Amino acid sequence: MDVERIDAFSWRVPVGTVDGMRVPGIVFGTEALIRQAVDDRAVLQVANVATLPGIVGASMAMPDIHWGYGFPIGGVAAFDAAAGGVISPGGVGFDIACGVRLIRTDLAWETEVRPKIHELVAALGRETPRGTGTGGRLRLSRAALLRVLRDGVRSLLERGIGEDTDMRLCEDEGVLADAAPEEVSERALIRGAGQLGSLGAGNHFCEVQVVDEVLEPVAANVMGLFAGQVVVMIHCGSRGLGHQVCTDHVASMDRVMRPLGIEVPDRQLACVPLGHEAARRYLGAMNAAANFARANRHVLGDGVRVAFEEVFGRSARDIGIRLVYDVAHNLAKMEEHEVEGRRRMLCVHRKGATRALGPGEPSLPEDYRSIGQPVLIPGSMGTASYVLVGAAGAAARSFASTCHGAGRSLSRTQAKRRIDGHELARQLEEQGIVLAPASWKLLAEEAPFAYKDVSEVVRACEGAGLTRTVARLRPVGVVKG
Amino acid sequence: MVQRGAGFAFVDHTADIGVHAWGTSVGETFEQAGLALATLMGATSPAASGRPHVIRAEGPDLGGLLVAFLNELVFVCETADGVGVAALRVTHLEPRWLEAVVHLAQAVPAADGLAVKAATYHRLHVVEHEDGSAEVRVFLDV
Repeated sequence: MDVERIDAFSWRVPVGTVDGMRVPGIVFGTEALIRQAVDDRAVLQVANVATLPGIVGASMAMPDIHWGYGFPIGGVAAFDAAAGGVISPGGVGFDIACGVRLIRTDLAWETEVRPKIHELVAALGRETPRGTGTGGRLRLSRAALLRVLRDGVRSLLERGIGEDTDMRLCEDEGVLADAAPEEVSERALIRGAGQLGSLGAGNHFCEVQVVDEVLEPVAANVMGLFAGQVVVMIHCGSRGLGHQVCTDHVASMDRVMRPLGIEVPDRQLACVPLGHEAARRYLGAMNAAANFARANRHVLGDGVRVAFEEVFGRSARDIGIRLVYDVAHNLAKMEEHEVEGRRRMLCVHRKGATRALGPGEPSLPEDYRSIGQPVLIPGSMGTASYVLVGAAGAAARSFASTCHGAGRSLSRTQAKRRIDGHELARQLEEQGIVLAPASWKLLAEEAPFAYKDVSEVVRACEGAGLTRTVARLRPVGVVKG
Repeated sequence: MVQRGAGFAFVDHTADIGVHAWGTSVGETFEQAGLALATLMGATSPAASGRPHVIRAEGPDLGGLLVAFLNELVFVCETADGVGVAALRVTHLEPRWLEAVVHLAQAVPAADGLAVKAATYHRLHVVEHEDGSAEVRVFLDV
């Protein structure tokens, strides 16, 4: 498969790469990252998405692109309802509103936290339910769960969990208004009932990190970040509830789209026009699952407060614990964008991609309007994570989107063949990283070498004009799902 | 677990995991795919039998039916904490509908199960051979 270089950090997948493409594909990345994506067949998935009805501009992928199911991971696609545009649950993924939350402290690594890191990781481990199945920090009644689905973080603040800033500094202020809990199936409710405040498994984590380097001091200062400071990053999503919502609605759209004459090159791309009843129902359920995901990270964030208070014997407020931001990287949103010279209301799908609004966007919290939206990029256990901000040009280049992480380069089997969990833990401990895994076997599957170089991904996003790099964070303690 | 003429194997995928299953009939093939899923989730039990649980699934075709069946099994395994699949039998199979009985018993205590989010339609492949045997390939989001 051929891709054409547009400039140093963007590449075109020409119309005609697969039959029925309505727009070209555009993939952002360095040459090395693009070659991996071509070999991985992920670029073919970019071309497949370009065949969907009503797609506008281009079928895009961010520099952390890798092979997904249907849509590529790292994919961004925008659809115009007025032009027959569709919505596809596969374009959001099973882990609806999976995302990242960053919490700051006033604590310095060397003098205050380093001597207590083992104690802190153990305390965070106790406060962070993880692994498969049920067992979240909160077990909700049916009525309380429905409130979470409708009101997201707000419903938890009313129960006395968290602080007002947790809502103000969360994407969408912690609640998507168009949530329709009545469109969430009984099965999804059963899966979600016991899971609020749990990490899950796979690449999800709660990490103690140190601000290793500040690259843009003004933005870092606005976010309350400084070199040598300890922060906590949480990466997780909507757990079984979100997975079931996606399962239900992919099956529904798979049935509905056939009589509508919609044909897709991969059945996981099942979709319906945005005006269709099935689209309305999915959007309502997806927004409810997104509220659950934000609430899930909020409850885990409350556990972080508890763990720090226990270990340091001071109040969370005294320690300077405060939310920096919380942002999803699996979501579809109705957003206004300029395409071909006119403003259009589009349904922007981001699957393994993060919204990245530039400075001045009125929808941003006032705290961050001058610097642009914080974008939180989780690394892979032994590698750096990053704090970015949306660049002014991202709206025009990528529907205001950027990467979401490193992206896998090795399968789980390949990773396990190279190392076992105990050896990996020993190596990470040698690097000064304290671990609390849910499973030693699964730990090896998440070895840092199974992922692409996150620093190269972040450099490519900056080179492509999507984001600016504010700070690099390095892990010192990992509570692993 | 793997019988003559029936079995399963895992297929590598960068981010997820595929299952290749085969059997002497479509029903047996689906059973093998189900056992593969339970194995991956760490939700198998060494017991010879257990509490029967009936699964019903519908789909627009055999492929859709397989995905629906596996997603029912994901639901059962995820919500039945500490319980695993001791045995699995497809008892009725029509082109768009099936019923299966899962025997649930205490699972092997292990934290090594993968969290399977769902079975997907991605590169879904179901082949029914002339002699009635079948094979399937299905990818799971993990």
